[in-house]
Amino acid sequence: MDPLLSVRGLTVTFGSFTAVEDVSFDIHAGQTLAVVGESGSGKSVTALSIMRLVELGTRGKIEAGEILFRNSDGEVIDLVRQREDQMREIRGNQISMIFQEPLTSLNPVYSVGDQVAEAVILHQGLDKEAANERVLDMFRLVRIPEPEERMAQFPHEMSGGMRQRVMIAMALSCDPKVLIADEPTTALDVTIQAQILGLMRDLREQTGAAVLIITHDMGVVAEVADDVVVMNRAKVVERGPVTQIFESATEPYTQALLASVPRLGSMTGLDKPAPFELVEYQP
Amino acid sequence: MKQITARIAWSLGLILAVIVMCFTLIHLAPGDVAIVIAGDSGAGDPEVIAEIREDLGLDQPFVVQLGGYVGDVAQGDLGTSYRFNEPVTDLITTRLWPTFLLVGTAVSFAIVLGVLVGVFTARRPENPISHGVTVFSLTGYSMPVFWTGLMLVIMFASNVRWFPVSGMRDVRLDGNWLEEWIDIAHHLVLPSITLGVIYLAQYSRLSRASMLEVLQSDYVRTARAKGLAERRVVYKHALRNAVIPVVTVAGLQFGQMLSGALLVETVFNWPGLGRLASDSVFQRDAPVLLGILICSASLVVIINILTDLVYRLIDPRIRVGGAS
Amino acid sequence: MTAVSPEQGDLGPPGRQALRLFVRNKAAVFGALLLTAIVFMTLFGSFFYDQDPSRIIARPLQGPGEGDAPALGTDYLGRDVLAGVVNGGSTSLTVALVAVLLVIVIGVTIGAISGYYGGWIDVAFMRFTELFQVLPALLFAMVIVALFSPSTRSVAIAIGLASWPQTARLTRAEFLRLKNLEFVKAARAIGASDFRIIWQVIFPNALPPLIVSITLIMGAAILFESGLAFLGLGDPQSQSWGLMIGLSRQTFLNGWWTVTFPGLAIFATVLSFSLIGDGLQDAFNPKLRGR
Repeated sequence: MDPLLSVRGLTVTFGSFTAVEDVSFDIHAGQTLAVVGESGSGKSVTALSIMRLVELGTRGKIEAGEILFRNSDGEVIDLVRQREDQMREIRGNQISMIFQEPLTSLNPVYSVGDQVAEAVILHQGLDKEAANERVLDMFRLVRIPEPEERMAQFPHEMSGGMRQRVMIAMALSCDPKVLIADEPTTALDVTIQAQILGLMRDLREQTGAAVLIITHDMGVVAEVADDVVVMNRAKVVERGPVTQIFESATEPYTQALLASVPRLGSMTGLDKPAPFELVEYQP
Repeated sequence: MKQITARIAWSLGLILAVIVMCFTLIHLAPGDVAIVIAGDSGAGDPEVIAEIREDLGLDQPFVVQLGGYVGDVAQGDLGTSYRFNEPVTDLITTRLWPTFLLVGTAVSFAIVLGVLVGVFTARRPENPISHGVTVFSLTGYSMPVFWTGLMLVIMFASNVRWFPVSGMRDVRLDGNWLEEWIDIAHHLVLPSITLGVIYLAQYSRLSRASMLEVLQSDYVRTARAKGLAERRVVYKHALRNAVIPVVTVAGLQFGQMLSGALLVETVFNWPGLGRLASDSVFQRDAPVLLGILICSASLVVIINILTDLVYRLIDPRIRVGGAS
Repeated sequence: MTAVSPEQGDLGPPGRQALRLFVRNKAAVFGALLLTAIVFMTLFGSFFYDQDPSRIIARPLQGPGEGDAPALGTDYLGRDVLAGVVNGGSTSLTVALVAVLLVIVIGVTIGAISGYYGGWIDVAFMRFTELFQVLPALLFAMVIVALFSPSTRSVAIAIGLASWPQTARLTRAEFLRLKNLEFVKAARAIGASDFRIIWQVIFPNALPPLIVSITLIMGAAILFESGLAFLGLGDPQSQSWGLMIGLSRQTFLNGWWTVTFPGLAIFATVLSFSLIGDGLQDAFNPKLRGR
């Protein structure tokens, strides 16, 4: 099957610094691809490049490569070569994104309902009333309790987990084909993390969207991913199905990442946590 | 609502304290008002002086005078001017609205233009205009306001005669209300620019800084990720957040603006409160000075409350929880 | 900003780093040089330009380069404008210096005690501060000066009395921030007295923002003094830039130079303080640069 989104040879620079170098991967409909790496490995920049937000909010520049996307009309287009107005048609509509910090990712001065409705009105051409209906449906879908009351609330009146649900509702409100989630659970409590991951897995099954999840947490990868791409220092160092990565990772860097997940009982008999071994990856 | 009531109650107490403090201060000042007044009418006769003292209640103990004054103020009576021999309340009311007009125009001009300039420079920091604005915002508030006024008069009222040199109306004008207003607006241009320029410099700098910060924020990235046009991202999502510090600062600076207006009114012969104050100072017209002090302190208090309300309108985080 | 431990003080590495950053900031260095030049002119200018500013030396209202006029022309009485500019700074600078000292003494004391002790002392002091904040400063100062007869001393006191609340608030905020940090707790734990904690432990750490603020208040005090002098509320015996402009108010349309040059002198002085203050701000807080 043809991939829905195919990143090929992507290179992104910030001035003289290369944040992403020759990165390639494919995402298929209904699948979840996890991009794993430490902070600074280039995984978030990769995600922002797909949205073409890397040139808008930051000083990054896509130097080379193409990002092929099969849009809702079935055409394959190169996102790198789309004009800004064409990208706006795609952003939040066919490809949408949720971010790491639910606490700061919503505008403090507008109600959450209005913020979600804004995307619906923009992309689906609904009027205010129909948009609010849609928002209500979305809030129910992401299992926000008392959705009617919640819609009128402001971000500061909600917990982090609730806000992340709002972000997910916003991202899914226009039935995107690809959902990019940049560290969606990192800022949340462990129990809320599990809820949000479960929600994302369910929603992927319900909507059939492809999911690109960016994380540094191998636990998250094990929970949701079908395929894994491991990045380190701007480059892809290893890729493969999730089982293969967990069972027989060949790269020392991947092994180190896996080893950083503590196993229950692994510290029995020690009087203090054992220090992690620092693995310097040498290409 | 409870907060607002408490705030108003506290503000009344504050104004009472201002009255007591200023009254005491003026009472402590050396020199006898009765002698000043008597001297003015030509007679240094002790009997006349004693009569004036009695008329003004100056022979009463201080506490009685103070109590009487506070009681009068509560009824809206600020006493009688020694010089104009008119009720201070009337003097102040007629002078109030020209000052309002001047300060209001200046601050609106400074906020609107300042925010626009701030947005522009935050979005295009490398533009030569932005560099010019940076220099202006550094130098703008170092200029003495009365000097700026005189320079503008030399340039735009003397070299090229675009605007009148001073005053608020052209006395020769005999037209309908519209022509009168146009005339006032024409007279208003230079004074309000003079007063506004300092704040324009400050607000453009402040809004640039807050805009730069807001444009880097996560929620602006979210707005962009929604597919919103950049114009909407900036003017709907970023601007409202970026303007919060500007509104706060502008509200807190109202007293400072009244001080500035005092100088600007003197330069342009603008018939406002400031001009009344600087006239009364030389005549040691204590009731008028006291009245102006009380009136401007009350204005500052009222504006602070209004700013608070506007702030609550813009920023919903303040509405609930009630953090000061 | 992370807390600096008291041992590092203002002469330690952070102070040195701030100095290095300050020296690298072109605008700040320009401000410092400008101020040095102005102070030098005020102190020693009359040695180089020996002309009595109160003497009538030529026909009135001659522009620069006209007839027998001196370099910057003559005023409405025929006095030398350049001599006035050279000598006019001493009053402004003296008044500003005294006023700022007063601001520091009142503002820092009230702010420190208020922030450190909190509770009802804080409430009482802050309400007292608010009392002064609602009075428009220039108006208040003007009334004080007029009632107690204008002199260099009364002007300085009036400016000081009208300007201290800002410093009190800033000091209080710094003390509130610092008083719960580890090194203060440590000082308390070893039994240091309140006096010692306030002045030797917290105060040195509150200095950076205070220094910035005081520099800017210095500029504001000069504007303040020139404004009062312009209104005619300066010491009538003294030479002052503001007074020169005020006296020329009736005639300035016939002689732009009589107000332009004294005004430029005020502007340059205030600007130098603004630039220095800005440079210090950036030097103490490198992260906020360009804001």
